[in-house]
Formats: sequence, C-alpha cells, structure tokens
Amino acid sequence: MSDQSASLNGTAVGQGRLALRPEALTWAVLLLLLVLPFLLGGSWIFTLGVCFANAIGVLSVSVLVRYGGEVSIGHSFFAAVGAYSVAVLDTRYGLSLIASLPLALALGVVAGVAFAWPSRRLSGIYLAVSTMALALAVPEMINNMDGLTGGYEGLYVSQPVIPGVKMGLQRYYGALIVLALVVYGLSRLRRSRQGLVLLLAKAHPAAADAFGTRRVWARIAVMGISGGIAALCGAMLGFAGSTVSPSGFTLWSAIFLLVGSVVSFYGLTLPRALIGGAFLTLVPQMLSASGAWIPVLYGLALLGVILFGHYLPRLRALARRKGGA
Amino acid sequence: MMDRTTKALTGQGIALSFGGIEVLKGLDVQFRAGEITGLIGPNGAGKTSLFNCLTGAYTPQKGSIRYDGQPLDGLPPAARASRGIVRSFQHVALSPDLTVLENVMIGVARNHHAGWLHAFLPTGRGRREMAGMRAAAMAALSELGLAQAAEKLPAQLPPGMLRLVEIARAIVGKPDVLLLDEPAAGLNNAETRDLMRSLRRLASPDLVMVVVEHDMDLVMSICDRIYVLNFGAFVAVGSPAEVRADEEVVRIYLGSDDE
Repeated sequence: MSDQSASLNGTAVGQGRLALRPEALTWAVLLLLLVLPFLLGGSWIFTLGVCFANAIGVLSVSVLVRYGGEVSIGHSFFAAVGAYSVAVLDTRYGLSLIASLPLALALGVVAGVAFAWPSRRLSGIYLAVSTMALALAVPEMINNMDGLTGGYEGLYVSQPVIPGVKMGLQRYYGALIVLALVVYGLSRLRRSRQGLVLLLAKAHPAAADAFGTRRVWARIAVMGISGGIAALCGAMLGFAGSTVSPSGFTLWSAIFLLVGSVVSFYGLTLPRALIGGAFLTLVPQMLSASGAWIPVLYGLALLGVILFGHYLPRLRALARRKGGA
Repeated sequence: MMDRTTKALTGQGIALSFGGIEVLKGLDVQFRAGEITGLIGPNGAGKTSLFNCLTGAYTPQKGSIRYDGQPLDGLPPAARASRGIVRSFQHVALSPDLTVLENVMIGVARNHHAGWLHAFLPTGRGRREMAGMRAAAMAALSELGLAQAAEKLPAQLPPGMLRLVEIARAIVGKPDVLLLDEPAAGLNNAETRDLMRSLRRLASPDLVMVVVEHDMDLVMSICDRIYVLNFGAFVAVGSPAEVRADEEVVRIYLGSDDE
C-alpha cells in the first residue's frame, strides 16, 4: 500500500468523506475496548493489555517510517530504557507508574536524540544496521548491570496506580489509556507545523532546507519522538506484563516491532496500531499449540496479512464496481 | 544607477567547479529589489548552480555573496531561508503526503515558533499558529488561482498546477528574495499568462525577484533586466531590448527569426 493511500485511510486532514470513516472506526474500537473487560475473562484481559503495549511499540517504528522514511531493527533498546525506568523505580523506590512514566518518556526521547546525533548522516540500510547494534547490546547491558536491573531474573512491577483497584484492570486500562494518548498525540502532530515540515524533510530534504528546516534537525526530532514512544511501549509492557527481564528486549523483539509496523502498513491510527500489536501478541498465542509448525504458520500469517492489505484497495474497487453494476 | 538605499542580493567572483569542471567562472551579479531579473541561457549554462550557490545548497570555491550588505557566506540554506531568501525548484519538490494547502503552509512555517508541546497538545497558541498559517496559505493559493485545489493531494494535480503550488509556497512567507527556477515549465499558454500577471503583481520595491526561465515571451515581457549565462560566464547583461539586440546572445541562445 502506498504512503499516500495510507495517509488517505489514516490521519490525513481535509479529505472530506474519507477522513470521517477512520475517525468513526477509531471511536468504535475504543468504546469496544473500554467495555471488553466486563465481557472477557482474566487471561484475555492480561493478553490484551500486553497487546496494547505492543501496539505502542508498533507506533514507535511506524512514526520513524512515516516521518523519517527510515526503518529500525533496534527499537527494543528504547523499549528497554522505558521498561527498566518503570521497573527500577517500582522495585527500588516504591514509585508507581504515575511518577515513572514521565521519566521513561523523557529518557526514551534523550536516548533517541543521543542515537540520532552521531548517526544523522546515515540512511537506509546503513541506519537500519546501526540500530541493530543497539538491539544486540541491550540484553548484555542489562545483565551486566544486574545490581540495578536484576540481571537474568529481571524485576517485578507491582505498584498500583490507584490503590484498591484490581491490578488486572489497572494493567489493562493503563496500557489502553497510554495507547490512546499516543495515537491522539500523533494525530495532533500530523496537523502541526512540526509535522508538516517533518513530512517535507522526508520527501525532499533540500526543499525543507530551503524553507528553513534543517534536515539534521528533522532526523533528530523524528528519532527523539520515536524513541520516546518506544520507551512508553517498554514502560507499558513492564506494567501490563508485570515483569521486566532481558529476554523481552532482544534483537528478535526489535524485529517483531518492525514486523508489527509492516502488517499495520505503518498506520498511525488506533485500528492500525492494534493490528500490529495483535500480530505480535495474539497470533503467537493462537499458534502456541502448533508445536514445530509455529514458525511456518506465523510466516504464512504474516504473508497473508501483507497480501490482504496490499490487494485490499483493489478488492474494494472491485466490490464498488460490482455494487454499482 | 542604483539608489544606495536599494536592497540587493550581490555576488562577487562566484566560482564553482565539480571535479575540475568549471561550472561558474567568477561571476559578479547584482539582483536589485524592486526589479524582476531574468537569468537565461542554454541548458547546462550554470543557472541552477548559481541559484544553489545563492541559497547555500552549494558552497562556491571562490567569491562572496551578500544580501543588503550582510555576508551570507557559510550560512546553511535553512539560515538563509530565515533571512527571507527562498526559492522554487526546477523539479517539483512537494510532499506527496500533504495536501496542496499544507504544502503551501510550509512556506510560512519559518515565521512561527510554537514549541513541541503545542505540536502534541490542543493548545490555544498551537491552534492560532496553524490558523494563521492556513489563512496565509489560502491567500497565496487564491492569488495564483489555486484555491479550489487546496484540499487535493499533489498526485491529483497536473504538473503545471504543481509548479504554481511551488510558487505559492515560495511567496506565502513574504520573502525578501524570491528565486524562481523555471516557474513556467509545464504550464500551458493561459496558465503562463496568469503566472506573468501574478509575478508582476508580486513585484514590490522591497522584493528581489530572479527568474530562471526558457520561455522567452515570459522573460522578455516581465523582466526589467536580464543576465545571459553560457558555459558558466555571463555573455550579456541588460534590458530585454538590449539582450534581444545582442548578436552573441542571438547566436548562442535566442536564434534569429530566419532560423
């Protein structure tokens, strides 16, 4: 699916009839998710909380693609920054998510900017491989700082945000609220001055330069935003999943975030992010009984979703033609 | 004779070469405010390279560039844009993800400074900033007769209209120096006539306007002064009548009526 059609179906403004439908869908999905805990059992609530957190991670990669024109296979690094911010403050200082989430966001932004500055001249495959270096380093870094991070065993996130309310519900709604806020923030960004100039800098860096936006600033800004959102993903993975350990932030985790972004067609809307998050969380769970066939079936599911998304506009056009005939 | 108070974009001894090939050979130029200056010459003469030097996209090996007496040497393109020096591009450089209106709004973005908080949250300042940018962009589109295309995506417009959108983006920020690279390329006769009228209306005592163009009807009818460039050197400078009468210019570029 082209970027343009993605924008038509996503967060484009001023597209008249086309723009209203995704917004209505977003509200419908949000309302459904708000009442879902009253309809489903505990294990599903837990799984959906993790799915929402993964959807935030998918958004972090999609932002990089949509606004920076780059891909990352190292966003597990930024997610780990967020996750351990929450987990360390929880276990060492008894602070809840209310206090640790802003810190996670700030550290994620700082980490994104710190990575973007030395790599500001890299693009394409070179940038992707340099992000991979981050992902490869994460588990070892966590294990070597075991005094703080708990090493292989990890840390348990247990502080409630609202004392007295069931932790299962807090984990579910906490992740959903943060996901909704990230989607809302990104929809605002698309309509902001910064969003406009970032999109021009992606398509025509020289034109952005000529109108007062330095391409280096654009790269650093996008990486900072993306790193911050990835840190929120990590923070919510820790909170919704209740544990934080090195096995959750490997190179594979980073690759799956990219896979989630691809199957959501880099969409920045709630439904698209949920498709990516569900692919990371629900599909492996549904395939868990398939034994050795899991990788094959996962690959087939991945191929099926991508092909379906690719041909969906043609199928819609065909259906319209038949409906009109 | 230029009034001493007239602003001008000047270049002295601008020399640019790529791998031993001299693209610009020590050019002296003076583009004055209040005039429309034409820059013509055959393909490969160095016109766009001179634009790139003036806007900071290229760094000339020799020479200096000043605007209103202030040196611009060493300033990156974004900093020159902040000083009011903007350009359009030979090849359309619009974002395909943005509507026409949003693409034009970018032209005025450098005049606004609301921070990141206003980008992510629905603040009053952010809303006012975007409303101001939208109004300015709409006015620029209306000036060029493009108001009806404001909500379309670039992919939905013909090349000629995209060229006009580029010009709207360049003029919306009220620049001090406007460099237009082949603004009439891809326009039909009626669109070119409309463009000529718009450029004449844009001309003001405070605006330096330079037009690179192959459409000689446009150049000869709207320009006050014309520089003719060939192989990186000026072969003629003067009024349209003087340039048209120059035998060298006729030989290398314009051609005679008999041909």
